[in-house]
Amino acid sequence: MKTIGVYSIKGGVGKTSSTVNLAYLAAAAGKRTLVWDLDPQGAASFYFRVKPKVKGGGRGLLRGRRRPDDAIKGTDFELLDLLPADFSYRNMDILLEAAKKRPTGQLKRLLKPLSTEYDLVLFDCPPSISLMSENIFRAADALLVPLIPSTLSARTLHQLLEFLRSEDGFGALKVLPFFSMVDTDRAMHSETIDRLSTEHPEILSARIPLAQDVERMGLHRMPLPAYAPANPASGAYRALWDEVANALRA
Amino acid sequence: MNLIAMDYLLPAYADSEQDMDAALMTIRAELRCEPEPAVAFRRRFLDSFEWSLYRADIVLEEITSNGGRELLWQDLTDDGTVLARQTLDTDPGLIADMAPGPVRERLAPLLGVRRLLPMVVLSGSRRTLRVLNDDDKTVARILLEQAHVESADDAPQVALPMRLRLAAVRGYAHETERAAHRLKTSLSLEPARVPLYLEALAAAGRRPGSYSSKLDYRLDPHQPAEAAARTILLGLLDTLQANIDGTRQNLDPEFLHDLRVATRRTRSALSQIKGVLPQAIVDDFKARFAWLQQATGPVRDLDVYLLDFPRLKAQLPPALRDDLDPLRDWLAAHYEAEQEALAEVLDGERFKTLLRDWRAFLEAPDRNGAKDAQSPIKAVANKRIRRMFKRVLEEGRAITDASPPEELHELRKSGKKLRYLMEFFQSLYPPEDIKGLIKQSKVLLDNLGGFQDLAVQAEHLQETAAAMQREDAAPLHTLLAMGALISHILDNQQRARGEFARIFAGFDSAQNAGVFERLFADEKPAVAAPVEAGAEAGA
Ligand SMILES: Nc1ncnc2c1ncn2[C@@H]1O[C@H](COP(=O)(O)OP(=O)(O)O)[C@@H](O)[C@H]1O
Ligand SMILES: [Mg+2]
Repeated sequence: MKTIGVYSIKGGVGKTSSTVNLAYLAAAAGKRTLVWDLDPQGAASFYFRVKPKVKGGGRGLLRGRRRPDDAIKGTDFELLDLLPADFSYRNMDILLEAAKKRPTGQLKRLLKPLSTEYDLVLFDCPPSISLMSENIFRAADALLVPLIPSTLSARTLHQLLEFLRSEDGFGALKVLPFFSMVDTDRAMHSETIDRLSTEHPEILSARIPLAQDVERMGLHRMPLPAYAPANPASGAYRALWDEVANALRA
Repeated sequence: MNLIAMDYLLPAYADSEQDMDAALMTIRAELRCEPEPAVAFRRRFLDSFEWSLYRADIVLEEITSNGGRELLWQDLTDDGTVLARQTLDTDPGLIADMAPGPVRERLAPLLGVRRLLPMVVLSGSRRTLRVLNDDDKTVARILLEQAHVESADDAPQVALPMRLRLAAVRGYAHETERAAHRLKTSLSLEPARVPLYLEALAAAGRRPGSYSSKLDYRLDPHQPAEAAARTILLGLLDTLQANIDGTRQNLDPEFLHDLRVATRRTRSALSQIKGVLPQAIVDDFKARFAWLQQATGPVRDLDVYLLDFPRLKAQLPPALRDDLDPLRDWLAAHYEAEQEALAEVLDGERFKTLLRDWRAFLEAPDRNGAKDAQSPIKAVANKRIRRMFKRVLEEGRAITDASPPEELHELRKSGKKLRYLMEFFQSLYPPEDIKGLIKQSKVLLDNLGGFQDLAVQAEHLQETAAAMQREDAAPLHTLLAMGALISHILDNQQRARGEFARIFAGFDSAQNAGVFERLFADEKPAVAAPVEAGAEAGA
């Protein structure tokens, strides 16, 4: 089983849209896939038409009173399941803090029993840098980081890389940044992409364009490639998935 | 994943297109659901000739629909839970030709070198309905399938009863139960008692698990020996014939192997079940089966070589390994001609006459046999096994570290005869005891076989090297690598030889002797042993 955290310190950069679309493409390619919606706002759960509710909440999971297994819901798509969000996740840091040993290893522990059941797990992460994010970094094989091509996004990428360097144990974690919501009509975007790509050769080459059809996912309540497979943005997500799948194999 | 699926039959509906539509209408009136476009499918259920997957409760199915092709690995006992799937772009056959993937991974250890064959093929159409909740979320799936068994040529197609499968979506068990309840009442469903695969096999007239190369005769201890001997030999003939077609087409190497084992066992039964069949018959068929054994030998030798090649290669130091490749090419190049010659033998008059004559003899009503023809089979079996056990002990005890290889070879032949006798007659003895003895003899035979096969292999390699050189097919490096291999093989052979004394001592134990005494003693102690020993001395 491979695990990917779709992560950014910032909100509104395309994490949830990417998680949902990549998960769909992975399952369509034959991988048994699980999306774990960790954001208390439950946007990923919403896209899959699943109620953002886990019996017993985050506390039940962490205390072992509920198994993640029992909360999993099948989506409308073959091989693709979802572990829904729960509003109680907003207090996750407090709950994690209370874990007696290894408050940063809890997510990894919860994931273990699922490892034979799925080939791929994607975390849809809440925007923050917190105890929860550290749990994600410890549990994931790779971090997929959407970047809106602006000066600020460069800063947040540096912050993240800096944090990972300063802590022990993240050496094996692959960081895979990619450009999200790219508007090629804006000179600023193109310039930033050029500059950042030279500075950071690890940035993936697939770019997700800014597109109304992506926004409409909220109306369709399903992954973009499921209702608009021929849309250029769907093509961009496919290119992104190919690159990510390659990086995971390496 | 791990979806629960329930299969039902629709007895109230036959199997026409209209019936499918009528069922769909009823369902839609009953449940909030969304139909998906109709799909035509073809399902091929695959297994090896000896039903290796079926025996492991696995169903392997190749399903073609919507232009895609997929292999599904399912649990036969568990309502067809899909445990693994893999897309395909070539016909599934041998493991070696299959792309890596989750199905191949599971299949490899069960299939070995055997080829996947279609056991039954269905084609038909499917309609899927998604059951929706208030969010338009799919909470269950209803699959309506009608299928018929594809049959060869112009035989009439057998239609299967229409099936409804209700597949749960994970986490929505409650909704599925509700849907099941409503469907059951509105469509008068009956739970399908038999998995689709088994139903299809039955409709096609195939009995799963019907072939096995294992010896498994139920003999009656009081049965006249001749009748029992015919039962055994007929079983062997059936096995032999079952493998002819696969051997001729060279579907996989096991067909020829099983054919040869059946031949060898036939010869052994002919010579070992003494005094039962008319001597003239025994002599005639022994000679004719010996011919068959010899005629099928060359391809089997090449099979063994080629199957073993990766292992042989790995025995060499890495630097020499590639030097061995011309050997494999040479073997492969000769394979086709040998296989053709074999196919000619199998199509030839001599072979056909042999089978015909042999079956005619075995199926003919009892005639005057030899002196023991009417004795109870148990008495004959006891005597033969006792005798052969004694011979194995005598020959084995005479072997010292200085004995020449021929003596071990002789012992191996006797050991094999003993083992075959015990296998032919195993149903006459307490299963635990006889299985234990068979296993014991196998340990001894493995050691002797290892010793002798290695000798043959070394000799064969030497001959091959000479032949390759004659044909100018052997670069110097290859000859050197083959030399290194021969020396390695001879080392291993020495090791097997070194272990013989210990392994034979294990067989020649007081405990074993006790079991033999107990199992194979005659019920009437009046039959004096010394007389038999005298009569048998020259055999
Ligand atoms: N490529 C895109 N083009 C246009 N709108 C997008 C694109 N990606 C995401 N959006 C929209 O931007 C908003 C935030 O995206 P989302 O994927 O939820 O980001 P995050 O999870 O990082 O908060 C959503 O309304 C979404 O529909
Ligand atoms: Mg989000």
